[in-house]
Amino acid sequence: MEILTKSELTHLKNVLQREPNSLEKEIVGAQWSEHCSYKSSKKYIKLLPKKGERIIQGAGYDAGVIDVGNGYVITIHIESHNHPSAVEPYGGAATGVGGIIRDIISMGTMPIVLLNALRFGHIYSPYASNNNKFSSRKNNELYSHSKWLLKNVVRGISDYGNCIGIPTVGGEIEFDESFANYCLVDVAAIGFGKKENLIKNFIQEGDILILAGSLTGRDGIHGASFASKKLAEENRSAVQIPDPFMEKLLIEVTREAIQKDILKAVKDLGGGGLSCCLSETSANLNKGFDIDLGKVPVKYNEMEPQEIMISESQERMMYIISKNKFSSFAKILKKYEVPFAQIGTVKNHNNLVIHKNGKTIAKMPSHLIAFAPLLNRRSRKPKYIHDLRIKKISVGVPNDFNETILNMLANPTIAFKNWIFQQFDHEIGLRTIVKPGISDSAVIKLYDDKFLVAKLDGNSKLCYLDPYQGTLSCLSEARANIISSGGKPIGIIDHLQFGNPENPEIFWSFQKSIKAIIDFSRFNKIPIVGGKVSFYNETKNGPIKPSPVIGMVGLIESMTSISKTNPSSGDTLYILGTTSDNMGGSEYYQFLNGLTGGSVPKVHLDIDLINSNVILKIIEENLISCSHDCSKGGLSIALAEMAIGSNCGISIELDKVPNNCKRLDYLLFSETPSRFIIGTENEEKLEKQLSNFKNLTYSKIGKVTNLRDDIMFMSKGKKIINIEMEIAKKYFDKISFIMENY
Amino acid sequence: MPIKEFNVIVTIENKSFINDPEGETIYRDLILKNKYNSIKSVRTAKVLKLIVDATNPKEAKVRVKKMCEELRIFNPVVSNCQINIISDK
Repeated sequence: MEILTKSELTHLKNVLQREPNSLEKEIVGAQWSEHCSYKSSKKYIKLLPKKGERIIQGAGYDAGVIDVGNGYVITIHIESHNHPSAVEPYGGAATGVGGIIRDIISMGTMPIVLLNALRFGHIYSPYASNNNKFSSRKNNELYSHSKWLLKNVVRGISDYGNCIGIPTVGGEIEFDESFANYCLVDVAAIGFGKKENLIKNFIQEGDILILAGSLTGRDGIHGASFASKKLAEENRSAVQIPDPFMEKLLIEVTREAIQKDILKAVKDLGGGGLSCCLSETSANLNKGFDIDLGKVPVKYNEMEPQEIMISESQERMMYIISKNKFSSFAKILKKYEVPFAQIGTVKNHNNLVIHKNGKTIAKMPSHLIAFAPLLNRRSRKPKYIHDLRIKKISVGVPNDFNETILNMLANPTIAFKNWIFQQFDHEIGLRTIVKPGISDSAVIKLYDDKFLVAKLDGNSKLCYLDPYQGTLSCLSEARANIISSGGKPIGIIDHLQFGNPENPEIFWSFQKSIKAIIDFSRFNKIPIVGGKVSFYNETKNGPIKPSPVIGMVGLIESMTSISKTNPSSGDTLYILGTTSDNMGGSEYYQFLNGLTGGSVPKVHLDIDLINSNVILKIIEENLISCSHDCSKGGLSIALAEMAIGSNCGISIELDKVPNNCKRLDYLLFSETPSRFIIGTENEEKLEKQLSNFKNLTYSKIGKVTNLRDDIMFMSKGKKIINIEMEIAKKYFDKISFIMENY
Repeated sequence: MPIKEFNVIVTIENKSFINDPEGETIYRDLILKNKYNSIKSVRTAKVLKLIVDATNPKEAKVRVKKMCEELRIFNPVVSNCQINIISDK
């Protein structure tokens, strides 16, 4: 297997003006893999709006840095560990968490929370039980495999986070057949610290490089190039084993070294190992490195230089310090019993020079290694997009809406996620104000009366049918979640996950997704603070559905502005926004009826912004008791969730919901974005305020009844839905039921 | 053939090229620190002791192997699974 393409090798030879040796090829090969170099996507990522008044460091570094006032900053980053998790879910997911935490400590901040966004194949299907086509043995095997992945991914994430004492406070999960035999594991971390403690990244000739943490072994060799290839059996040696206790020690070492002002530059070792870490740091800081590979603490004495350079052994950090700080840094490392070695020195020559046993075994300009020649990928609108949009879809109006709603509540994408988040320690650190399962997003205390809201969102079903509108929907949903909790959005992170970019149709979807992020960010003036691209997410059954995951963070300026999702008995319920009947990509079509196609709901950026601003304003003025966005599953599910969450019945007049839907089932399950359901104790005051806003559609739609009452929907004077609370809860708890019986 | 009970030992261990942080920690923090210098390496493993009904040792082994694979007692990507028949009871 050649690590470099023909044209890449030619480029390398031309710049070096000689034949590169095999070690040099390996170093460049690791760094020029799609995973490390972003060679397909970089041109587009550069277009993302990264500037904002609070932004200290936008997307493009280990983590974005946002000023949150009073001399404090937060850092935020997202990464995936899809390929490793698909073959070894426990270790893959756990080491994914480890990687993202090291990105946060590399900036000089301490990680305070973790979030995750997970995607799996179906673990259960409602039409499987009454349709032979779907209840085949093969499908049962697929469900069983997905359950195995889900169980071990969740365990991997929780074990790692729990071991090092960082709470996992929120996330998002989606099930879809395109992830069968595969999974997407995205983890995001948020760090917090003093602005003055941010790593300055200023180095001088004579400074020294210290490698600390786990010994370098043979694990994860070719991991970065593994992530840049389609999943194949023979790549299965790229498995990484987590060691959270070493990670915890590295966090403590870094924390103490920052306090003592020892560190000049810090970089974690991730994909591509030493090759990527050294070349990127050298190129970004405009200095050269002389490295003695013989000094690297290795697990096996007989390791080849290639193996040492590209090993992806986890839990390693590289620190650059001035020479006279060595003894005080060594004292800290020894105190925590972390293996370390001085592996090189900083030079003014801008090259990465590798020595071993007194001989120079590789010497190349760092810029050459760190910046791969970018590619112009071809793109073409996929034919399926048009075909599926105009495809005639016939779904009969359900005879029994009670059953339909219950089946929708049991849809694992919608159902209660307690089986998952109960495995996470979500309170350690004592910053978690709003815990998982209580509100639309997690709320974390930063300092004094300042709080951070964070959420991840994704929707591959919409993005498959229309990557542009689908991505906008994810952005809109993420903001709706932040706003519903009372937060003012301050930054976006994105993780773009697609199949093989060499396929022009897949690359087209990627371009549309980026375009949506740029448009949303510009229109709403919310900058992009970090992100990642993951291509080659394919199995033998083909590519995954396009799966951009959007993360958003917001600030809450006072404890009283923290809003909740669940209403109280006696509240009056209102809806903001108009429901339309674009059902393409909805859970109603896809999950309940197994149908892919139709037109997806459109995000109107102006309406989206107006409605969001209204919600923020009325939360600030204390006019509402709760707010919840209408997303997956639509209006009926959002209302049922609120009822279940508060353990109170609801009574809803569907005729009062502003809509242009042709059918009742569309009204109930349409996933039109930019809609909010709010509850209030004070109708008069709220209506007075709402009537002041221009271009706002809203309507009073019903009431919250008493504790443990039924969930009721009326239409044209008739009760069309009446579900007992206990039954609704039972269906909503489907994930626990499935996984506890697995 | 009469059915007998067999003692079967299943050992699940990370493959040799895959890390074993637990073993490394035991080695570094316990064994080396206490100067047992003649010990050169530690690898941890998970052991299951089973009693299995079968007519012969070969059948016992096949049954256990099938169970381990079907119940995903180990992940073949990460670990080796060794099945040894110790004795018939």
